[in-house]
Amino acid sequence: MDNSSIAVSPKKTFGKALLYTLPMFLVTFMFITGGKPDFSDPARTVAILVTFFGMNLLYFLMHYSGKTDRYRAIIFVIFALTLSFTLIRNMILIRNSMSFSQADILECKIPFCHLVIPMMILPAALTKSIIFPGTILGGFADIASMVVLWLAATVVLGRGFCSWGCFYGGWDDGFSRLRKKPLVKKISDSWKWMPFAVLLLVALTAALTMIPTYCNWICPFKAVTEFEKVTNVESAVKAGVFISLFGGLVVALPVVTRKRTQCSFLCPMGAISTLSNRITPFTMKIDTNACTQCFKCVDSCPMFALTREGIKEGTVSMFCSKCGKCMDSCSRNAIHFGIRGVPAGTRKNFSRNLFLFVSFLFMAVFSSQPIVFTLNSLYNLIF
Amino acid sequence: MNKIKTTAGITWAFLGLILMIILFPGLSGFSKSFGTLPFMKINPRYSGGEVAFTQSAGACTLAVHKPVFNGLVRDRNTGFVQVDWRGKIPDQIRDTIDYDNDNVPDFVIAVDTKKPASDCCPLSGRVTGLGISSRTSFGWAARINLRKTP
Amino acid sequence: MTDSFILGLSSGSACLVTCGMVMFPYIMAGRGGVMKIVLDLSVFLATRLVIYFVLATLAWYFGQAFLTSGIVRTFVTGSLYVMFAIILIWYSIGRKKNMKCPAAIVTKVEDKRLVPVLLGVVNSIGFCPALLLILTKGAAQGSLAQSWLAFLAFFTGSSLWFLPLPFAGKLKKKQVIETIGIFATGLAGAIFIIKGLILITGGILNG
Repeated sequence: MDNSSIAVSPKKTFGKALLYTLPMFLVTFMFITGGKPDFSDPARTVAILVTFFGMNLLYFLMHYSGKTDRYRAIIFVIFALTLSFTLIRNMILIRNSMSFSQADILECKIPFCHLVIPMMILPAALTKSIIFPGTILGGFADIASMVVLWLAATVVLGRGFCSWGCFYGGWDDGFSRLRKKPLVKKISDSWKWMPFAVLLLVALTAALTMIPTYCNWICPFKAVTEFEKVTNVESAVKAGVFISLFGGLVVALPVVTRKRTQCSFLCPMGAISTLSNRITPFTMKIDTNACTQCFKCVDSCPMFALTREGIKEGTVSMFCSKCGKCMDSCSRNAIHFGIRGVPAGTRKNFSRNLFLFVSFLFMAVFSSQPIVFTLNSLYNLIF
Repeated sequence: MNKIKTTAGITWAFLGLILMIILFPGLSGFSKSFGTLPFMKINPRYSGGEVAFTQSAGACTLAVHKPVFNGLVRDRNTGFVQVDWRGKIPDQIRDTIDYDNDNVPDFVIAVDTKKPASDCCPLSGRVTGLGISSRTSFGWAARINLRKTP
Repeated sequence: MTDSFILGLSSGSACLVTCGMVMFPYIMAGRGGVMKIVLDLSVFLATRLVIYFVLATLAWYFGQAFLTSGIVRTFVTGSLYVMFAIILIWYSIGRKKNMKCPAAIVTKVEDKRLVPVLLGVVNSIGFCPALLLILTKGAAQGSLAQSWLAFLAFFTGSSLWFLPLPFAGKLKKKQVIETIGIFATGLAGAIFIIKGLILITGGILNG
């Protein structure tokens, strides 16, 4: 373990990077194939192999090049796109439409996602029940599995979930990378508190109305997943809100600001994940001895987690999603993945290796199913 | 003190690593255990509530659920009762329902499953009209809106 | 009920931020201890409740008098919702520019026992877009009881912010609470814009 404070490069030699990739290679092989690889279907075999080798190649490159965000973002964006593809294709196969029907609600067949969690807490505590028309166990995206996955990821990664596990985050992360330079640079820092206001409102309205209000009225990702069939004025207004928020916060604003505006300004789950950053073992640290205060990290941060004052004091705010973009922009490796309790500037490579293994493993396994499904479908479509 | 903090931090990080490694292979088991927690059941406003009684007519079974009025801390004044027809449902359904079992019919529901069209005729002051009526994978289901006090 | 509660809750933070610090010294004044604080706060909240019931009654009465037909009721209510909600959003954005508490004048009263009552009166009827929205809602209700219920929910939501007033001086994150309150007010405005648009569009489609 290294203990030096200045300019410890995260880059590794080819052999060392390969050695670090080997455990990930074995673990992901076990998890993606289920330990019993079935190569009877050629399309699925190709899809699994492409996913498996592609992911491990990116993990290898993270170690070899020392860059984190550059390779993380590739899987993260692909995850978001393929999940939407998987959902839409499933819905079209089953229902012939992207909208869900009254029958789906009556039969509690609506897929559950983690964004419902902030709204189910109060009713679960007071009524001992879940206010969502989904399935508790079994079926596609059941409530128990999604909550367990989110809980585990949040305890370990904190707001890192927003950059390594959230299957929506990849949308605005992707759009925020389309321009090389932002058109709008000055955005008030206080907007990052907006998700707490949204959280307050949706948690209370959901509890009082017993309806998951965020899903019903706000969620921009309804535009790329599923939504209520437009049958009256109310459902038309809802569809208008979903599409406007998607167009504004997920597409337009990220493009012009190079920031993840939906995640930073709207997502109530982001507010909860932000609070969870206080307990997680992994944090971002600033090595003030190595920092030259060039503030490139502040400009690059897509989540408004870094401020100039914070950098001077050597602190990263709880809004950090551990995406690693700031690290990639720092030539001195002054800002680095750290472990709670371990002083900044020490054990940099050890902390990075451990965090990368944990976070990448979660992302790789969680994202593998939709990626394999999408590749499989594309293979069948082409051949 | 620093050493204790460092050791505690690294231990916490390794526990996180172990949790991530066992998470996916153990997901099914963890979810099953989580799913048995007392609050892990779908609210009756969505599930339709427990079935109160059933009636069979040939290959079709009518299930009348318990009325649902539940709110966050106490019952609300408005709610619904769900009725399901399961099995081989006829093209035309017409049933007179006494959902509260007081031997007084509460409403008549008619469904044309071919068109499809549904109609509800209230016979009690507690019944306010038809809510949802839709074909389902098991047959047909309808929710009739109610109020607690007529 | 829910939207009235949410409106009260979100705008209540505004009351606390702009007026809380003015009320705080007067409600805390004297040496009666916790009982005196609780009594003053209760008088203040009770005054607000009484004023709101009066406003609910007046709003409903005017609603009955002027919003006679269903169409007029729908269009007028929808348009007022949209207009006042826009003002509410504008107000929440502009509040960062050091808004002054309208109740500050009350603190000049010599008989300090009257201060909680007068603060309650001024705080209830002081200009606030949220009050205009709830007045519109009260006017559009079908019965007086419904109008009272809407105001009661509004009162409950806005009063929650005053309950921890005795501890306001100890709040470390006042700035954060203020910022979240500002955004919540803006979001409550957005809810009413949508409600207004649904009413207007529904009215157009239904003739």
